[in-house]
Amino acid sequence: MDSPRPAAPSHFLANKSRVRILGLTADDAIKVFFGGNALVSIIVLALITIFLFREGIDFFGQNRRNLLTYRQAGLEYVDFIRSQTEDHAALTRYVSDLRLRQLNYLLAEKKLSLADANTALARFDTFADQVGDAITPVRGLVSDLSDQATAIKTKFLVAEDKKVERLQLLAAGKTAEAAAVKIETVDFDAELKPLTGILPAYREASNELRQKLEAALAAAPTVLVPELASRMEKFKKLTHDYIATFPATQNRLETWDHNRPVPWHQAFTGFVFGREWLTASFWQDWYGIVPLLVGSLMVSIVALLIAVPFGVGAAIYINQIATPTEQRFVKPSIEFISAIPSVVLGFFGIAILGQALRALSQVTWLFWVPGFPFTERLNILTAGCLLALLAVPTIFTLAEDALNNVPRAFKEASFALGATRLQTVLKIIVPASLSGIISAVLLGLGRVIGETMVVLLCAGNRIAIPDFTAGLGVVTQPVHTMTGIIAQEMGEVPIGSTHYRALFMVGIVLFFFALAINYVAQRVVQRYRISIG
Amino acid sequence: MTDSSSTHVFQFRPTPARQRERYAFWLFRAATYTILLCGALIFGQIIFRGASTVFQAKAPFINTQFFTAAPESLFVFEWEGQKRSMGFTEFQEFKAKNPAAAALKAETYAYSSGGIFPCIVGTLLLVVGSMTIALFLGVSAAIYLNEYARDGHFIRFVRLAILNLAGVPSVVFGLFGFGMFVNFFGWGYSLLAGWFTLAFMVLPVVITASEESLKAVPKGFREGSLALGATKWQTIRKNVVPYALPGILTSSILGIARVAGETAPIMFTAAVGIRDKLPWQDLAKPSDFFFQAVMALPYHIYTVSSKIPQNEYTASVQYGTAFVFLALVAGIAMTSILLRNNLRNRHKW
Repeated sequence: MDSPRPAAPSHFLANKSRVRILGLTADDAIKVFFGGNALVSIIVLALITIFLFREGIDFFGQNRRNLLTYRQAGLEYVDFIRSQTEDHAALTRYVSDLRLRQLNYLLAEKKLSLADANTALARFDTFADQVGDAITPVRGLVSDLSDQATAIKTKFLVAEDKKVERLQLLAAGKTAEAAAVKIETVDFDAELKPLTGILPAYREASNELRQKLEAALAAAPTVLVPELASRMEKFKKLTHDYIATFPATQNRLETWDHNRPVPWHQAFTGFVFGREWLTASFWQDWYGIVPLLVGSLMVSIVALLIAVPFGVGAAIYINQIATPTEQRFVKPSIEFISAIPSVVLGFFGIAILGQALRALSQVTWLFWVPGFPFTERLNILTAGCLLALLAVPTIFTLAEDALNNVPRAFKEASFALGATRLQTVLKIIVPASLSGIISAVLLGLGRVIGETMVVLLCAGNRIAIPDFTAGLGVVTQPVHTMTGIIAQEMGEVPIGSTHYRALFMVGIVLFFFALAINYVAQRVVQRYRISIG
Repeated sequence: MTDSSSTHVFQFRPTPARQRERYAFWLFRAATYTILLCGALIFGQIIFRGASTVFQAKAPFINTQFFTAAPESLFVFEWEGQKRSMGFTEFQEFKAKNPAAAALKAETYAYSSGGIFPCIVGTLLLVVGSMTIALFLGVSAAIYLNEYARDGHFIRFVRLAILNLAGVPSVVFGLFGFGMFVNFFGWGYSLLAGWFTLAFMVLPVVITASEESLKAVPKGFREGSLALGATKWQTIRKNVVPYALPGILTSSILGIARVAGETAPIMFTAAVGIRDKLPWQDLAKPSDFFFQAVMALPYHIYTVSSKIPQNEYTASVQYGTAFVFLALVAGIAMTSILLRNNLRNRHKW
């Protein structure tokens, strides 16, 4: 103890003097650096939210102004009358449908020649003409009014543009030029006088329409086919209903006031519940998300209906039934399918699958399938089939994982009780891993609903709510989707316009949809996980 | 033998339950192989039809023009009683040679002649740039998550963010990239905007893959190093990352397949339908390189499949591009899957 220990060579000693940067040692600084990188994913998520809202949130203000202009310029007024002509057009469609059915009957059942059949329908044709022509005076009014209202709107928008121009000039310090910008103030009261002054003429026209329709109905011929008599009765009822709406329309026109304010919530409800997405129109733009949302959901549902049985079935097969050799071959192969880029799948849909499905639908003995035959080769079904192939690897991989996590003891106990393999799989293994399978399906849904290129290329891109009266056949109609509309229109809109902001709003809806699906998937796994005791 | 076994107690006897089981198993088997069949069908169709564009009968057996030229319009016209079709430059020469051809009325099909060289270049540039960014950010984040972090609110929050980021639709990333990089930062349609957008999109894949590889390095490696007096950072640098690196890289290849395959995020951040110059041509200053839009394979496929009609003249370039792109992405994915399986078998600590 008393003999001094020889000093250790200096290079064995740890270097005690530490450099400190901002009070951190080098090791701490490194830790902070890595921690900062871990933070990136939070930051990115926050940035996505911020920028989507930054670009999108102004939509409501702009859409409200858009709706305000719609009212102030009298477009709304004209649309009241226009809706009357549109309802009438629906009636005439019904009549021509009735005529077509009768004609078909005469040709097919009575074996008349086309000329004879047409002669037999001559009385019906005069009736149809009477119904069709009745609208002429009202339609004339609408077309006049449309021009007037468009003129007022254009005048107003030009004035607004001028105001912006003057503000810009003032901001640039060019006072003289700013003063030179002539701004025409639009006096809506005066401008709308001729428009609202049309009311007496409208009353007359509407009366005439009613009288003509009633006259036509009174002189309506009996239909030549007894089976169609009920349709004729329905038509009569529809026409009476239509006439009954006239006073309401007149009342709306009389009480219409262009100064009535557009409440704030209308800009919001117009987006969330709006059934029309109509942009770059000369009359009025509508930004309603419903047709896009319905399109996205329809395509996703079809895709999942196909993908879930196949994906889960394959997972069960590979995990429980297949031989090890099969497993080694099939698992990477299905993962490999997920490597097919979606744009290539979309191209495949356009070039091959669409035509193949259409050809299949036109095979005569398949006509019993709802929706067959169809003529649009790009529709919900085409897109759904391709999306199913995209979703299958996701569902398969995750479901297989879930099946894998079921403890061996469950299976062994089941076998020991004398159950067959099928009974074990269906009654023990699948229920035990159900939460995992459900979350796999949900994540598959997330994948499908966010997919862009396939739906952009293959869903048909018709912006309309599909006609659900077709029953299951609705899947053969074209739709447009939320992702598709963003991809298609984003490149063409002027930055900052209402349309641009509307696309960002659609993006926000998509974003929160994806987050919600993720959240639910996680909750399902957490809450319903079996206790492995 | 046969006689005695036929009355054996444990002999297999078909029962209704077993019969049902067999049918059910065949159903599952059919589902599995239908999926594979569909996948094979798509690969087969694209490869079969695209091969005629990409390969040719005479040496060098590969259509070099398709890989080295830029896209051109195709001109189809009737000349001396027969249909002729030629690309734009060829058509110009033809007209110069035959003055009578000047007044020819030709049908034109955009993009249908020439090759796809600029698209390949653009895709490679996008992939390299975005993967560099994503690997840097992702590996660092994974090191933090696996080596430094202790379970707590912050870490749970980070993991939640990663999980959610993975679920964000690619088109939303495109919107975000447009709003932030193109519009707010004023970068315009540019390589840089595309890089960051794609990098953020693939970040969850890279982080998850890297973390898995780091986890696979046995604890003993770290403890041994720390016991010898190395600092945390020295341990990570010398004893953890080098062993995890092969795993990180192979798993990240899957990220490359994702980056190369996505169209929606680059549609309004980096890609243009047609651009005459190659990325390195005519740069006023070197920094302009980062602020130019590029052509990219996926976007080109979108353009040729939606903006031009489908017929015999356009089919060759459509299928050819799809073939090249599919081969590229599938090749990358295949490498990743094979390497990963290989790695799993090799490293058993």
